[in-house]
Amino acid sequence: MINFYSFAPEIFILILILSTLTLGLINKGSSISLNILGFVILSFFLIFNGSSLYLNSSYSVNTINLILLSKILLSLGSTIFILMVKRPLKNENLFRYEYVLFILFATLGSFVLISSDNFLTAFIGLELQSLSLYLMAAFNTKNLNSNEAGIKYFSLGALSSGFLLFGISMVYFDTGSFYFQALDNFSYLSEIGLSLILISLFFKVSAAPFHIWTPDVYEGSPTISALFFASLPKFASLIFLFRIYHELNLSDIDSLYYIFQIVCAISLLVGVYGAITQKIIKRLLAFSSINHVGFILLGIMSYELMSEGTIFFYLIIYLITTFGIFAVILNLRSSNGELTKISELNGLRFSSRSKSISMLVFLFSLAGIPPFAGFFAKFFILSASINEGLYILSVIAVVSSVIAAFYYLSVIKNMFFNDKNNDLLLDNNKIGSFVFISSALILTLFFFYPDPLINLVDGLFS
Amino acid sequence: MSFPILSLLILTPLIGALTLSLSNSSQLKNRTIFLSGLWISTGEFLLSLLLPIFYDQSQNGYQFKEFHTWFDKFDINYYLGVDGVSIPLILLTTFLVPICLLCSWNSIQHRVKEFVVYFLLLESFIIGVFVSIDIVIFYVFFEAVLIPMFLIIGIWGGDNRLYATFKFFLYTLAGSVLMLLGIIYIISITGTGNIEVIAEYVFDNQIQLILFLCFFASFAVKVPMFPFHTWLPDAHVQAPTSGSVILAGVLLKLGAYGFMRLSIPFFEYASIYFQPLIFTLSCIAIVYTSIVALRQSDMKKMIAYSSVAHMGFVTIGIFTLTQDGMNGAYFQMISHGIVSAALFLIVGVVYERHHTRMIADYSGVSNIMPRYSFFFMIFMLSSVGLPGTSGFVGEFLVIISTISINVYLTIFTAVGVILGASYMLLLYKNINFGDIKSEIKNLTDLSRIELFYFSLLATLTIFLGVYPKILFQMIDQSINIGILS
Repeated sequence: MINFYSFAPEIFILILILSTLTLGLINKGSSISLNILGFVILSFFLIFNGSSLYLNSSYSVNTINLILLSKILLSLGSTIFILMVKRPLKNENLFRYEYVLFILFATLGSFVLISSDNFLTAFIGLELQSLSLYLMAAFNTKNLNSNEAGIKYFSLGALSSGFLLFGISMVYFDTGSFYFQALDNFSYLSEIGLSLILISLFFKVSAAPFHIWTPDVYEGSPTISALFFASLPKFASLIFLFRIYHELNLSDIDSLYYIFQIVCAISLLVGVYGAITQKIIKRLLAFSSINHVGFILLGIMSYELMSEGTIFFYLIIYLITTFGIFAVILNLRSSNGELTKISELNGLRFSSRSKSISMLVFLFSLAGIPPFAGFFAKFFILSASINEGLYILSVIAVVSSVIAAFYYLSVIKNMFFNDKNNDLLLDNNKIGSFVFISSALILTLFFFYPDPLINLVDGLFS
Repeated sequence: MSFPILSLLILTPLIGALTLSLSNSSQLKNRTIFLSGLWISTGEFLLSLLLPIFYDQSQNGYQFKEFHTWFDKFDINYYLGVDGVSIPLILLTTFLVPICLLCSWNSIQHRVKEFVVYFLLLESFIIGVFVSIDIVIFYVFFEAVLIPMFLIIGIWGGDNRLYATFKFFLYTLAGSVLMLLGIIYIISITGTGNIEVIAEYVFDNQIQLILFLCFFASFAVKVPMFPFHTWLPDAHVQAPTSGSVILAGVLLKLGAYGFMRLSIPFFEYASIYFQPLIFTLSCIAIVYTSIVALRQSDMKKMIAYSSVAHMGFVTIGIFTLTQDGMNGAYFQMISHGIVSAALFLIVGVVYERHHTRMIADYSGVSNIMPRYSFFFMIFMLSSVGLPGTSGFVGEFLVIISTISINVYLTIFTAVGVILGASYMLLLYKNINFGDIKSEIKNLTDLSRIELFYFSLLATLTIFLGVYPKILFQMIDQSINIGILS
């Protein structure tokens, strides 16, 4: 007997997808409100009744909490994202109800991915998520860059899926099982297979040296899609990577542990060196996200201190900051379309006080300067990693964050020190403003009142 | 629960800044904004005066403690307290900020509201550093200071301000992150962020050396000590007058304060082990930067280099690890805070009138601006270390305390004093005496505001020089028990 209740959220999203499809035929505009309503209901369900979902499952308690909290965050994030979607798409003449469908498919994929307990389900989830992302990258069909981004993303993504499948089949060949729990004593064949699986996952979370697609795809695709790539699917993949790492005890396997360490170090460094010379803001954010993935990998490797809490906290802060930055960018336009160059932000201080101050908070927070929450996120990760004895990686991490400060500061320089750029148009919309102002407030007020966030991540995992 | 005066000290400027930034700037005149900033910072000064009044000098340890849990899991708490070592520095800060605002009254004309807001934020963060006795809170404030300073130099600075402000920020950050790793390591060993507890913990010798170097990286950049000092002249030259004043007056002291508050009590073995290194660097700083200062053509740069030299005395004094040396170093810190701030104000006065800082552009100023020359003389002499001024006491004590350690050290520091006298006198001579240049004939003498703050600073300099006991009373006990024990 299949326990349908335990995947009620997934079924709910599936129903949402079907009703959106049907509704789209009749009334194209209403799909957004339907989905917002749907995700609000889903979030409420998960928050208040979610703990009953996996009662009879084989997951451990910590995993259940992790899965549940991730799903709550994903569904809240999707709600906010769908709220934000309409205006930027309309500005580019791209508003079609299919876009919402892609979000739904990607979210469904993320849900499946997060709670999968075997490789096949994980593969399905990952593919469901990725295919929607390829389409979102190429959504601006009249724009060559967007098409290029979509094709690049697709071809490289397909390659990485190939790696994933190949790895899975090697593991299956060796152990005869797809289930994570069944994998305990395996031979070198599984090691190779697992490293292929890891490579594919590194590709999905854009960890260097598998990051080449990231800047190009971010730059080419519509800004709103770039926001999505940088936030929710990446979040889901990182959570899955975390689960793989700990449920398969990869730290015990030397070769894979080294791969993890090397990828972490390279991500930290490539992220910052790539970003220094960037003139285009989305490319800068892409490289900066690679650097942050490096930090998260460091957190994944150093598990002991606050358990999942450190990574989760870092991810939450990263999500909030990403949403905030992109909300600011989406609320600005240059005379020829979306904001692209960093120099177009010149003198933002004079045109919009709230936007520039919020950006200041986001950038300092990303750079890890106290008293903003980004500092504490890095602080916890570093605490965990030093506790774990990863001294060299910790030093690399802090050195990278000093270099990172340079390019964050240059953006601040453009906004605060340079003269006004008259091409810059303000495109205020209430939801966007709400998102970035509340994000900035959360990041700032965390210093004064850290309890809610800390209790949230701490309480669930201890 | 007693009266939370320390939190109030942090929050007053913070709330003031917040209120100002939320107000509608288009309706407010610049004058109103400056006035409100001035009122807030003056109120803050009066508030901080309560500290020495109610401080009980007979007791050891921290007073006015406040404790709130913050991150339970790591035992990192919002834990504030002051002792004799922090109170004079807090007073110095609250005293200098209103003066900074006063001196910018005419020179800052655009984006006035931001200026006042950043200054109030800066004040709040600096006070946060001095009152925190939890290591993480300390670090948070120590780093946060960079943000308003970065903006102040970057927005109101000179032509090359971007280079200067980036260099300032990145240098200091690079040092600080190493300290962050050290802090995290300490917390992971001792399991607490409480400075009092950590000070009693004895680390392994080998670990002490590494941790000491981590902390050294941060504080040495901030002080700044010899190989890490290159950001300072750039930052000073490019910063607006008020920025230079607060930079030289207070920010440099954060590093020395860190040495006294964290490095020495935590790492006794390493402090002794690294004594020769620090003495060498400080001697080089004193002699080398004095010679460099001698050759400067830019007044601000000259005073900036003299700051490095004077802070060399401070680091030597601190690391003699004797009561006298430490007292002298501390006195030198306070005195340098007043005198170098005053000297930067002096430069600011002529720069505002004549828009050049080159020494060669001025000559015979004393004939046109007699009051100006008078105050210039007082501060110049105090910087040189004339007995009767505050500069003398600190240098004298430091030099005396070095004799017991190493005579060569004494010789070098004494040479530093002579060199200091030569460049300051040269500067004074070139600007104030000689023929009157035709371009500067129309300069006006000090205005009433300038007269007001210069007389305050001059009184303080001479008062401290004549009656240093008032400061020593405050710090003696704390240094003896808190730092050297």
